[in-house]
Amino acid sequence: MTKGVLGNDPFQRGAAPRTGEVKDAAPDPKAAKKAAAPKSGKGAKSAGKAKSAKGGAPKSGPRAKAPKGGKGAEAKQAAATPKTPAARVHMFEARTNGSGNAKHEQDVHAPGEEISPLREPSPPGPASEPRPSRPQVLADEVRGSRPQERKVDRALTEAIASDAAEAAAKTAVDELFEGRRGPDRDIERVLATELVAELAESAVRQVLDDGNGSAPEREVATAVATQVAEATAGVAVDEVLDRHAISPEERALTSAEDTDLDADDEATDEVWTANAWQRDPKDVPPPEEPEEVWTADAWSRDPGGTSAPEGPEEEDDFESGVERVEENGVSISVSIIEGAAPTDVEPEVELPDESHDELPPSRRPLSLVSDPGEAPLEETPERDERGYDRPEESAPPAGFAGRAVGMLSLAKEIAGQALASDGLGRAMGAMHGLMEAVRTSLGTGGGSRLDDYGKDAGLVENLQPVLDFLYEQYWRVSVEGVDQVPRGAAILVANHSGALPYDGLVMSQALQRERPDLLEARWLVEDQVFHAPMLGTLFNRLGAVRASPENALRLLDEHRPLVVFPEGYQGASKPFAERYRLKRFGRGGFVKLALRTGAPIVPVAIVGAEETSPLLGRIPGGFLGFPSLPLTAPGPLPAKWTIRFGEPLTMEGLAPEAADDLGEVQRLTERTRESIQSMLQALLRERRSVFAG
Amino acid sequence: MRIAVTGANGDYGKLLLPRLEADPGVESILVLDTKEPQGTRKVEFHRVDLTRYDAEAELTDALTERPVDALFHLAFLFGPILNGPLAHELEVIGTMNVLTAVGRARLPRLVVPSLTVTYGARGNNPALLRESSPLFGCPHSRFVNDKVEVEGQVRAFRERHPDTRTLVLRFAPLLGKSLDNPVTRLLSHSVVPTLLGFDPLWQAVHEEDAGRALHLALRADVAGEFNIVGRGVLPWSGLIRQAGAQPLPLPGPLFRGALRALGVVGAGTLPVALLDYMHYSWVADGERAESALGFVPVHHVRDAASALRRSQS
Repeated sequence: MTKGVLGNDPFQRGAAPRTGEVKDAAPDPKAAKKAAAPKSGKGAKSAGKAKSAKGGAPKSGPRAKAPKGGKGAEAKQAAATPKTPAARVHMFEARTNGSGNAKHEQDVHAPGEEISPLREPSPPGPASEPRPSRPQVLADEVRGSRPQERKVDRALTEAIASDAAEAAAKTAVDELFEGRRGPDRDIERVLATELVAELAESAVRQVLDDGNGSAPEREVATAVATQVAEATAGVAVDEVLDRHAISPEERALTSAEDTDLDADDEATDEVWTANAWQRDPKDVPPPEEPEEVWTADAWSRDPGGTSAPEGPEEEDDFESGVERVEENGVSISVSIIEGAAPTDVEPEVELPDESHDELPPSRRPLSLVSDPGEAPLEETPERDERGYDRPEESAPPAGFAGRAVGMLSLAKEIAGQALASDGLGRAMGAMHGLMEAVRTSLGTGGGSRLDDYGKDAGLVENLQPVLDFLYEQYWRVSVEGVDQVPRGAAILVANHSGALPYDGLVMSQALQRERPDLLEARWLVEDQVFHAPMLGTLFNRLGAVRASPENALRLLDEHRPLVVFPEGYQGASKPFAERYRLKRFGRGGFVKLALRTGAPIVPVAIVGAEETSPLLGRIPGGFLGFPSLPLTAPGPLPAKWTIRFGEPLTMEGLAPEAADDLGEVQRLTERTRESIQSMLQALLRERRSVFAG
Repeated sequence: MRIAVTGANGDYGKLLLPRLEADPGVESILVLDTKEPQGTRKVEFHRVDLTRYDAEAELTDALTERPVDALFHLAFLFGPILNGPLAHELEVIGTMNVLTAVGRARLPRLVVPSLTVTYGARGNNPALLRESSPLFGCPHSRFVNDKVEVEGQVRAFRERHPDTRTLVLRFAPLLGKSLDNPVTRLLSHSVVPTLLGFDPLWQAVHEEDAGRALHLALRADVAGEFNIVGRGVLPWSGLIRQAGAQPLPLPGPLFRGALRALGVVGAGTLPVALLDYMHYSWVADGERAESALGFVPVHHVRDAASALRRSQS
């Protein structure tokens, strides 16, 4: 969201502590494994410090209400001390896991396994082999050398990560909300999203604080953000819903419960923040491979992150970054995922394992909840906005400006979400293809993957969603007897129909689908269509070839099936009353062609095309270089198509010289014509309804 | 091997001469031109003005005095033709003189470049034009029709002089940074007009490929016409885009009228004849050059066009 970019000033927040930390960290031991422990220890300690700084919010049981009340202040602190958000995350995790499990969880998800559960829920997987420790010398050097650049890097990274976090949060939350309804669903959704994003961002900050801010860390940060967001989504949603469900009086009760829980938690909390964090990374060497895998995944899912540049020192830095993630960020997200409700439908992300749901839903989301609004009951949009802005109060714009920013970011998010959804993506793809088709037909399309005949493979690819839709759902083309089409060169003779000749296109699609073993079929179109402005250009790019003996011979030489419509323009311009009545078959050019090349003739009957674009009248079109413009339906009508392939006529026993024998040519022409006409009549008899088939 | 070249300072000459210079089999290059090419080692310069009335005698003298193994007749105009009669004189009459002199000197080999535009852009062109297709030229273009006339002369010469191995190389539009022809000039604009609703297929040859084809013609054991085309085809709009310009579709009648008006005013920089080539495809089949001449294009049309863009920037 814009918040990360506009609202937060990453320089203010990140820069000062970072420099301090760099100084601290620089003299740290150089070896990676050794370096990891002190750092994580430091993180944990500072987390503890932050907690206490917050007025003991999480620890002090009786004051459990305090974090909610003091949220604004807390948020301010969050902005001031970069450790605080991380601390909140730790806290959150502890509660999520429940008091008894905190430690256990921690052990189970020791860094060696931390990552793999994200991808494969049940087994730790082979990916979790411990990786050999790797000296971090280079990374440390880099870190020490350019503090300025690192500041900038860090700012960028945070921005990217927060974008990613919010995108992921939105997705996850939306998915969770899919099944639920309620009067204030939108508000709840917004609240939950905000919550999740917030958490994810804090996790990122934590990672960054511990990291060295180099370029590859962005990937890590983004990944962490995404993962955390997805992981926490379920919890957040539940929480928001719960809060919404219960009335104020009950809320008091719940918070009392919370309090108890907090108290329970407290002990373990202390234990693992202090010890487990410090100990774990040392005990189990973090994995190498899985990290990379899911980072890649997160990247592909997250458009914001893709722009991150890759430095030359990528390898070393990347790995060092990875390590830190394992130490801090990821284990958080993992343990949360365990407790989360169904989160993500995306296949590459872990599907939640219900059996691992160790917490009753009511207990799940405690301290987390206190974040977005301590007064969420009369949730009006304005209030929501303020609730979001509050954690960001370090940034000056409050009031109207803040609201505006919030609204903007909301709008942006919704738009992004809409674009990300699958169906819309397909629709956009189709639109893109259509736009390209229009541009092509206007003669500005460009296109660079043309073959010698002018078919543009790129355009066909882009239009494929449209063609698929037309073929499968709109015209519901059914194909019969396609197995009779012989391999190699063949002349498919079909009836031409409709004012706009879609039939060639559909024939080629049908052959491509039903007979992928054949070479790509081409269809011949008469000059009136081929040289028609726009239509002709478009058809040419889609695979139409101008009807001429040279072209036909060349295509047959390439052993392609060749679709011809011997009726020619006459056939395409039949009045509607004469539909499916075959016109004269030209001068038998296709028969001569077959005799010369020996290619068999396959009669084909197409039913449905006539009703797709019925010819209602004609407009004289001489001024456009057209004999006449057909007056037809504004778009193709959804008639059902049936294509029937007949028995092939082989040219065996006929010498190529027979092509000059007009009588022979006439006989074969007539035979083909009769065969098609009888198939047409049979199909028309079988057809009960034009549109239903 | 001794070689004579006319028009060594033209586009073709600039492509060929460096290759001949680098060819160890070439001893000397007899340049028959109005001015001496720069920076050459093997060149013997003989000043001949092909447009003069005594050009034929000069050429015959030069060729009999110092016999050569091959003559490249490269004296063709690609620049804007400001002086139509002079262009006609140079191309048609000049070629006539050259052919006569070659016949008299009984040279073993003659190479004449031509263009695929001589096939003409017509609605009933087949998808791929073979060398045997008739040359229809372009009704409005002196530029193209002069070339068609030259081809006719050369064909007649070849029939009368079977001893002279005559090769005609029909080049698709040449694209390259050093070249100046109607197409490169057109593509150098930032906005290039197209015909609304039409997007014919174009071919092009990269200048390197063109130079190589000319060089191959020096030793090939074949005669006749060859289409020298680059790999692949591009629609006109795609070519424009690849060259770094924007296509601007204009409705045909308007476009034609505007061009005529500009031509009448005298400001016409775009030949009206190009309209035909923006309307219908004229794709030549380079198969024969590949199989007989051994010319395999290295560059795709795309590359040729984008080379143009690089040279502009």
